[in-house]
Amino acid sequence: MSRPHPAPIPAQAGIGLRSHHFREILDSPPPVAWMETHPENYFGQGGAPLRILERIRTQYPLSFHGVGLSLGSTDPLDHAHLHKLKALIDRFEPAFVSEHLSWCSVGGRFFNDLLPLPYTEESLDHVCARIDEVQTVLKRSLLVENITRYLTWRESPLPEGVFMAEMVKRTGCGIALDLNNVYVNAVNFGLDPLVFLDAIPAEAVQEIHLAGFERFGRWLIDTHGRTVYPEVWSLYAWAIHHFGPRPTLIEWDTNLPALPLLVAQAAQADAVLGGCHADAV
Amino acid sequence: MPTLCDLQQAFSDSIFDGTHAAVTAAMAADGSAQRSIALYRRLIRNNFVQVLSITYPVLHRLVGEGHFRVLARGYLTHAPSTSGDLFLYGRHFPAWLQQLDAPPLTRELARLEWACHEVHQAADSSPLSPDQLQAMATADPSRITLQFHQAVRFLSLSLPVHRVWQALQADASPDLSIDLPLPDEQTGLIVARSGGAVQVIPLAWGEYRLLEALSRGANVGSIEQMAPEAEVGFHFTRLMATLLSVQAIGEICVKEWE
Repeated sequence: MSRPHPAPIPAQAGIGLRSHHFREILDSPPPVAWMETHPENYFGQGGAPLRILERIRTQYPLSFHGVGLSLGSTDPLDHAHLHKLKALIDRFEPAFVSEHLSWCSVGGRFFNDLLPLPYTEESLDHVCARIDEVQTVLKRSLLVENITRYLTWRESPLPEGVFMAEMVKRTGCGIALDLNNVYVNAVNFGLDPLVFLDAIPAEAVQEIHLAGFERFGRWLIDTHGRTVYPEVWSLYAWAIHHFGPRPTLIEWDTNLPALPLLVAQAAQADAVLGGCHADAV
Repeated sequence: MPTLCDLQQAFSDSIFDGTHAAVTAAMAADGSAQRSIALYRRLIRNNFVQVLSITYPVLHRLVGEGHFRVLARGYLTHAPSTSGDLFLYGRHFPAWLQQLDAPPLTRELARLEWACHEVHQAADSSPLSPDQLQAMATADPSRITLQFHQAVRFLSLSLPVHRVWQALQADASPDLSIDLPLPDEQTGLIVARSGGAVQVIPLAWGEYRLLEALSRGANVGSIEQMAPEAEVGFHFTRLMATLLSVQAIGEICVKEWE
């Protein structure tokens, strides 16, 4: 089976590839420009998941969006995990590889959730050293995504956007900008999302993520379980005009919808991107 | 200000051990700390319950959401995740159910589902070459041993739980019913992949014992001799055909004459 060489993902919309949709995608490939997947779902040595990903890779550029590296953890970096990731990258040649600005383990115990760092000089030094280590092993630059948080550290003197901009400057990594996360944090903590976005260097933003959230008591929770909210679409339109057109992912991980709804959300993102292209002309 | 390492450890202690003082001292003093910790504990526990329910879907259906959540929370306390690779989470669940003295159906079903989980993503096997098949057909059986592939498991269970496993598949026919309780019946199963899907193949107990002997390195000749004792009606060719059909045999080894 021939496979196209790794090509840049175009500034168009893509969707998350989830096993729930495998059959439908193989039978009738949807009109989206690219697909994102969690590499950890393909860490097995064989079987149907890898074969299916091979087939899908012949038709779509891929972006790997990792969730298990625990970049911000003070535990040693898990090199077994990193080398599994490297092997998968070598095999599938994704256009982008991203991880989260978070930690998810300490003392060998894993939360398997994305936990927020305090934005301090110590955290910055630590995360930058880890990103350097990962990029050295992977021999490529990493995109790092801003996360949601549901707590406030007492000592967190650096604004999140400033922290990320400095991280980019020191490591040469890129940013996977999750606008749903920006919005959720802004509402939960009474922040101005544009203050964060203004601090982000435009050239570092290589992928934009959109998703749905849900209300739980006083919190908005980043569940990736419904359509993108109108407020996030508005923020997206602003971001596209501010940063320029960028590959845009519709993320949906829980309460998975029928594929046509996912594709329709991608088409909505493409319409925003198309409007920006038209403005530029 | 605690170090980053101390802060992460304090958060962990709060989530898993209920020791909140250190982490709340590091959080904003606006009265939100306890709510934040409660929310994270809920989100983290829910994630692990969901992961375990994906790995043990039939057990989840059998015992129901409420009971499964109780089991999953207990398991999280007993065997916290130790990897960023969630494929590994739940590998000690069958042993933990055994320690709990859970009902035999529950623990035996868990053993079967973990085997299915491992087989699903095990390394791919390739068909035996014509030369190897020829060797099988022509060599002295007492000089032939078999090596089984990674994508196959042989299970010995105290109940025929494969009947429950089949009846509670998401796509099972609604006409497929089973009588509970299951009879106490030593059951041997082959768990393998065929066409990308996991297959569970029941064996007569005598057949299973022979297969187990083969997997421990017994030669084919000795198996053929054991067969009549193992079970009336045992058919070695039929067993081999089953093994070949699911590509269970990784290699046929023929010992040279000395």
